[in-house]
Amino acid sequence: MNNFILLVRTKITALRASISTLNLIRTLSFIFVFGTFLGGSYYFFFRVFNYLMSVEIIGPVLMNKILQMAFFIFFIMLLLSNVITSMSTFYNNRELQFLFSLPISPGSIYLAKLFENCLYASWATMIIILPLITAYGVTTRAPIIYYPVSIISVIIYLIIPGAIATGLIFIIRRILPKLKSRDVILLLFGLILSLTFFYLRVNNPALLKVFATENQQDLLRFVENLTAVGGIYVPSTWLSHIIVKLSQGSSQSRFYLLLLLSVTSAIMIIAFYLARLFYTRSWVLVGEYHTRARKKGSPLNRYYGSTKTFLLKDILIFVREPIQWVQLAIFFILLIIYIFSLRKTPIYFTVPVWRTIVSFANFAYICFILATLGVRFIFPSISLERYGVWLIGSSPISFGRIIKIKYLFNFFVAVVIIEGLLFFSNLLIKTDPGFYIILPIIGIFVAASLVSINLGLGAHFPQFNEDNPSRIASGTGGIIAALASIGYVGITIVILALPAYNYLSNIYFRRPLNYPLIILSITGFLVFNIFTIFGPLYLGIRSFEKRDI
Amino acid sequence: MRPTLSDSKRLIIKNLKKEFNGFWALKGLNLELGQGEIFVLLGPNGAGKTTTLKLITGLLHPTEGEIYIQGIDIKKEPIKAKSYIGYVPDEPFIYPKLTGREFINLVAGLYNVKKEDYEVRLQKLFKKFDVGEWIDELSEGYSHGMKQRVIMCQLLLHNPELILIDEPLVGLDPKTARTVRQTFLKLRQDGKTILISTHTLSFAREIATRLGIINHGELKFTGTLKELAEISGQKDIEEIYLKLTEQ
Repeated sequence: MNNFILLVRTKITALRASISTLNLIRTLSFIFVFGTFLGGSYYFFFRVFNYLMSVEIIGPVLMNKILQMAFFIFFIMLLLSNVITSMSTFYNNRELQFLFSLPISPGSIYLAKLFENCLYASWATMIIILPLITAYGVTTRAPIIYYPVSIISVIIYLIIPGAIATGLIFIIRRILPKLKSRDVILLLFGLILSLTFFYLRVNNPALLKVFATENQQDLLRFVENLTAVGGIYVPSTWLSHIIVKLSQGSSQSRFYLLLLLSVTSAIMIIAFYLARLFYTRSWVLVGEYHTRARKKGSPLNRYYGSTKTFLLKDILIFVREPIQWVQLAIFFILLIIYIFSLRKTPIYFTVPVWRTIVSFANFAYICFILATLGVRFIFPSISLERYGVWLIGSSPISFGRIIKIKYLFNFFVAVVIIEGLLFFSNLLIKTDPGFYIILPIIGIFVAASLVSINLGLGAHFPQFNEDNPSRIASGTGGIIAALASIGYVGITIVILALPAYNYLSNIYFRRPLNYPLIILSITGFLVFNIFTIFGPLYLGIRSFEKRDI
Repeated sequence: MRPTLSDSKRLIIKNLKKEFNGFWALKGLNLELGQGEIFVLLGPNGAGKTTTLKLITGLLHPTEGEIYIQGIDIKKEPIKAKSYIGYVPDEPFIYPKLTGREFINLVAGLYNVKKEDYEVRLQKLFKKFDVGEWIDELSEGYSHGMKQRVIMCQLLLHNPELILIDEPLVGLDPKTARTVRQTFLKLRQDGKTILISTHTLSFAREIATRLGIINHGELKFTGTLKELAEISGQKDIEEIYLKLTEQ
């Protein structure tokens, strides 16, 4: 236990040291970014809850369902993200070579690493949950005790997915020691997603149905039938009960808090014993596996010019890094589910005007997806050059050219994704013919801008001391890139919404087309995009060229 | 203005200074290296050796001063100047998810090595540095010595005129270390210029045509081993080093 405390204390000291090296401007930008995000999220949740409170009967019921649903989704997402981060925290981490050479028990190393892993995998969830529960408390006029107890409950709750993910990894590594990291991740993802699906199907099948009615009584019955989202056996339900009962000042919250605490402790104890039994052996085996990886038939075994060689290098590293492509694969699976779910849109969406509104909303959603993909995969691409940055810096190729090669490749991929998604979703929505032509053209500009924002800011805020792309994307620079990308999409939607509305009014309500408005919006969009395509890229190239490596 | 140079000057450094957040790592370094010279930079940890090498390669930007490689100002024409350089860092980082062969091919691509030269040179280098079948394994499983051998292969593949090496012998087995020594001597005969930063004094004694003692960011002494022995009043290189770094 002393060793565990020592290791955790060392981590906290290192974290504190890295924070203290931030200069005033960086500290202020950091506070500003977090403050804006927390404030914005709080405002959003507050408005939603406030509105629901004003809706009689159904409003408060829906509020509780939203909490349950949010905590359940967070739980599944945390399980998945803990699986991914655990692979690098518990296996592909250079610090472990030092730790395993020390006279420390694997249990202590496990606990210290679990603490680190939970922090990395859960902090993003935490900064969404905090404004969510605060807004809920303010809206329901919860007593003051509500705030500290609910935050403590959330922290306890965040440990469960970490302990479950690591426990499962240790068991799989013990049974199938030669399984590659990639296969372990895939196996666990398959297991978690299929168990979730079957659990919901058995426990709460109504949740998986798309409800189609305009009758309020039917809707109320439907919502009431949902009972607890995910059922009473999952920690997300207990957490939502703690939050709801605490806000009401009910003593029942104590029961759920004790239940959550005891189950978390039990899972941690099991994971701890699994670590003591299997961790060291599995870590050694993973190390041995690396030395055997042969790649004789590689396309990079042939000689090419600089651009093609560099591109091939990027593609090969991506393909060989399970953390990268497994997450991309998950994204695509979720997108395919989304596209096919569009076939089952509620009944009132079949009206032409609604269908067109839905297709515009769908466009906005696809832009947000591309923004997310950009932050997760394009932003870290410069930081991931950490092993070759000395080579790039000392060889006769400019940083500008490297960034341009990366830009063109990522732009090509982004265009394929956005155009593919737009084509299939518009096909299923049966969108307006005008939108069929206009949206893909706008999509090209969106792809060009989002790639530039993420690549440019990735070059401006590189993290050459970090291996894990997820962690790079969730650093300060990654958050700024995420906010810039979301801001770009938001502004684009606002600029395009007015002419789109005017166009719809003309088609469905025979109102005249406002040409000055349409021309102004298109000009505004083009000017805005010239700035967002060339600005971040220029910033990235300039700061990368000036940087000491 | 570019200085007038005789063809034999491979590297000219003038009043080179580097500051890191108020700390002066280099305080006005001046150095000229001619064709066929092996210059060994000696100095304690933190003296400014690695900073000097990184400034020449363009990995760091000077606070003040000028660097000319083959008469080309690295600040004004970095790409042209870098095409003459071969560099080996103190930590031989290779992308862990690439094999040694893939990494060498990447370097060949970045330096635009001609295809016909590439095939011939690669086979010779693999033989010289005793590169085995492990070259097709992912480098994440390599030992330090294996990585050093890959780095040596990539260094010589593009036939640089000016070679900059930070601690060349660390992690190498005696046989490969001897190959490296012999390779450097052969490169010198071929007219290449080599700037080495090292702590291995025996290696410096065997290989250097000139030595430089750097301490606290200043090049305190430069000269042949004989000249340094005269200045310090010592005969053994270890004694010379200790004496001169004390001053």
